[in-house]
Amino acid sequence: MDIITARDVRFVYDNGEPEPGAAPQDPILVLDGVSLAVRQGEFLALLGHNGSGKSTLAKHFNAMLLPTGGQILVRDMDTADEDQKYEIRRTVGMVLQNPDNQLVSTIVEEDVAFGPENLGVEPAEIRRRVDDALKTVGMYEYRAHAPHKLSGGQKQRVAIAGILAMQPDCLVLDEPTAMLDPQGRREVLDTVSRLNKERGMTVVLITHYMEEAARADRVVVMDDGHIRMEGTPREVFSQVEALRAIELDVPQPTELCFELRRRGVPLPDGILTAEECAQAISLFMEEPLCR
Amino acid sequence: MLNGITIGQYFPGDSLLHRMDPRVKLVLTFVYIFAVFIPQNWIGLALAVGFLVFSVAVSRLPVKLVLKSVKPIIPLIIFTSALNIFYVSEGVHLFDWGFIHITTQGLVTAAFIGIRILSLIAGSSLLTYTTSPTTLTDALERLMKPLKVVHLNVHELAMMMTIALRFIPTLVEETDKIMSAQKARGADMESGGLMQRVRALIPILIPLFVSSFRRAYELATAMECRCYRGGEGRTRMKQLHMNGMDGVCIAVLAVLVAGLFVLNFVIPAAL
Amino acid sequence: MPVIETKNITYTYSPGTPFQMDAMTDVSIAVEKGDFVGIIGHTGSGKSTLVQHLNGLLRPTSGQVLLGGQDIWAEPKKIRAVRFRVGLVFQYPEHQLFEETAYKDIAFGPKNMGLPEEEIDGRVRRAAEFVGLKPELLEKSPFELSGGEKRRVAIAGVMAMQPEVLILDEPTAGLDPKGRDMILEQIKAYQQENGTTVLLVSHSMEDIARVAKRVLVMNKGRVAMFDETAAVFSRAEELTAIGLAIPAVTKVFMMLREKGYPVGDNVYTVEQAVGRLLPLMKKGGGTDA
Repeated sequence: MDIITARDVRFVYDNGEPEPGAAPQDPILVLDGVSLAVRQGEFLALLGHNGSGKSTLAKHFNAMLLPTGGQILVRDMDTADEDQKYEIRRTVGMVLQNPDNQLVSTIVEEDVAFGPENLGVEPAEIRRRVDDALKTVGMYEYRAHAPHKLSGGQKQRVAIAGILAMQPDCLVLDEPTAMLDPQGRREVLDTVSRLNKERGMTVVLITHYMEEAARADRVVVMDDGHIRMEGTPREVFSQVEALRAIELDVPQPTELCFELRRRGVPLPDGILTAEECAQAISLFMEEPLCR
Repeated sequence: MLNGITIGQYFPGDSLLHRMDPRVKLVLTFVYIFAVFIPQNWIGLALAVGFLVFSVAVSRLPVKLVLKSVKPIIPLIIFTSALNIFYVSEGVHLFDWGFIHITTQGLVTAAFIGIRILSLIAGSSLLTYTTSPTTLTDALERLMKPLKVVHLNVHELAMMMTIALRFIPTLVEETDKIMSAQKARGADMESGGLMQRVRALIPILIPLFVSSFRRAYELATAMECRCYRGGEGRTRMKQLHMNGMDGVCIAVLAVLVAGLFVLNFVIPAAL
Repeated sequence: MPVIETKNITYTYSPGTPFQMDAMTDVSIAVEKGDFVGIIGHTGSGKSTLVQHLNGLLRPTSGQVLLGGQDIWAEPKKIRAVRFRVGLVFQYPEHQLFEETAYKDIAFGPKNMGLPEEEIDGRVRRAAEFVGLKPELLEKSPFELSGGEKRRVAIAGVMAMQPEVLILDEPTAGLDPKGRDMILEQIKAYQQENGTTVLLVSHSMEDIARVAKRVLVMNKGRVAMFDETAAVFSRAEELTAIGLAIPAVTKVFMMLREKGYPVGDNVYTVEQAVGRLLPLMKKGGGTDA
């Protein structure tokens, strides 16, 4: 069952009317015929460098942007249908990049309540959802705190709770870790992984960090408004040269195995983690164990 | 350097005052501000001050805190007291020098008015100390709801206040950072004449505006993602309920006001 | 003689209040001229506090900061001159741009130094070249530029002051791999060409491993390590214990050592790893474990 279906989506970014006297600027084709289905329960990573079109595509998933050509379906709702706009945004919840600029209220729990309040949910039910969402992201004990006193990772977890309280079917995160330190990145990524594994939440993670994409079930690589690669992290990251050609890099262990293979050591393809890498290399070591 | 600023000055707690319905608290505070102007004699004033002292005790806030709140208005009190001391010429003359006459009646009036202003300020700061800015905004929104008839969008006003409160600390921090960044490039903000100093603010104000607009734009996007569509059809997680205690508070203050009026008839005025 | 040196500096926030807290305790470091130092540590480890002491934005509660052997606070009125000699690029520096054109923004620092017009022009153009800004972009408003270009304008603005010591706080934060690689290469090239002393603060061990000659590790407001890059990365276990994310290849080597292979312990780039492993490996076939 697919939650989001993109059919041949084209998106043209128009700079609007040129200033008098200035040369008219060509409209920019940001998405050029993208077709993609997000399946129920999967953890999908959308990978690409800045300007590849990945964030633009994500903003189509909850009707923040409407396609110039083609069609986006959320369940069976067309995002172009204005009447369904709020139901679409409830179904596909979106977390944005800057943790500071998406929290509305001066108290954590009131911020988490913002979404369900907008949806007109009953007060007692909002209370239940807010407590549940805050516990899910591990921020329940901070419910009475002011957001500006939290760390970046904590703010981003509150933002995720704010979306969860709307009870979405799918969570889209638009580079949620780009502005965080390693600790914050770990917190957010662990939270997202856990939601996917334990609650079966469908997750679409937009990122340019390879290590994050490696944790997904499926990776889709975008470049220049097109989908260039698609497959499991193993399948995608084994194509080291193709990834480099579109200005992405691969996790260091993958790169190490790739370089060794190129120099004649027949290591297997698709190694992602340090553990796998050390294990694979150890099978080819010449020296006897010294212990 | 900007870290000392606290807005709203809310001190969390669990006292009776903290738990009161904010609407009731807001209205009662206004009633109290009005009430301190009723007494015309010392006993009445003592009663009004006594009520305040009692409220502070109930709030369990440190007394020091309440005293701190009146500190900024001490110059104002000195000024009004001085006016009264010099302009009231009835009573026994204690000191005469040219056009300045200090009389017993002048001193009494000055003290009376000083105490009134002090109670007024301490009373209203008790409101902000025991009520979070968000709750206060919320109470205002609900109290002002009837103004919808005159086409005043109370919800939007309240939303703006909430967002402003949310972003003040963020922007204060940002201002600090921009100032440091420009100082690191040799910006001189400490010397020069007035024009020079005003000009020195440009490298701080422009980035601050740009960033505020960027934040506003991103926040608007985030709010849309969370299905915000104005006040129509919106519910609230926190419902405001008046309970028995609120009733008691209303009753107590009503009795106080009535008592103060009665005292004015019974006891001769001090002024 | 070190170009910049700190002697037992401690910085206390809000001293004498209940919020009193040491952001940095007893930090003594010395950086030689022309060195390239990577500074790493958690958020709140004191690394940002430390760099703001080096150009006199913060004044130590106790201890001394020496620039060229002179205490920078000997004459507090002349602290502005210190900031021209120790250039500091803040995190997300593009947020400080304000002029009408990129050119004017880069010229802000040199202008504050009171340099003659021709000198400023030369410096602006050279700095722009170092960060790879095309000359035609200089006449554009900085707000029209792309995110990566804005950041380069901001970095050029500090480079144009031609400081003896250049400090960059997280210059690659939020950039994609290509943007990150470009900025790091440009900083490296700038350092080599001018012999400027560079201090680079980063959360990314991989970034630091690529460019730094020496690494300063901060933890809980104190200096945890300060040594040659290889020596610091050879203490992978300690770094992990502090909770820092070591480069993945360093981790691979740590695991190989645990398995008993004599692979050595100071590897932190893929290139080094390949060089170290190849002679130890069988080509053409493996044995199943």
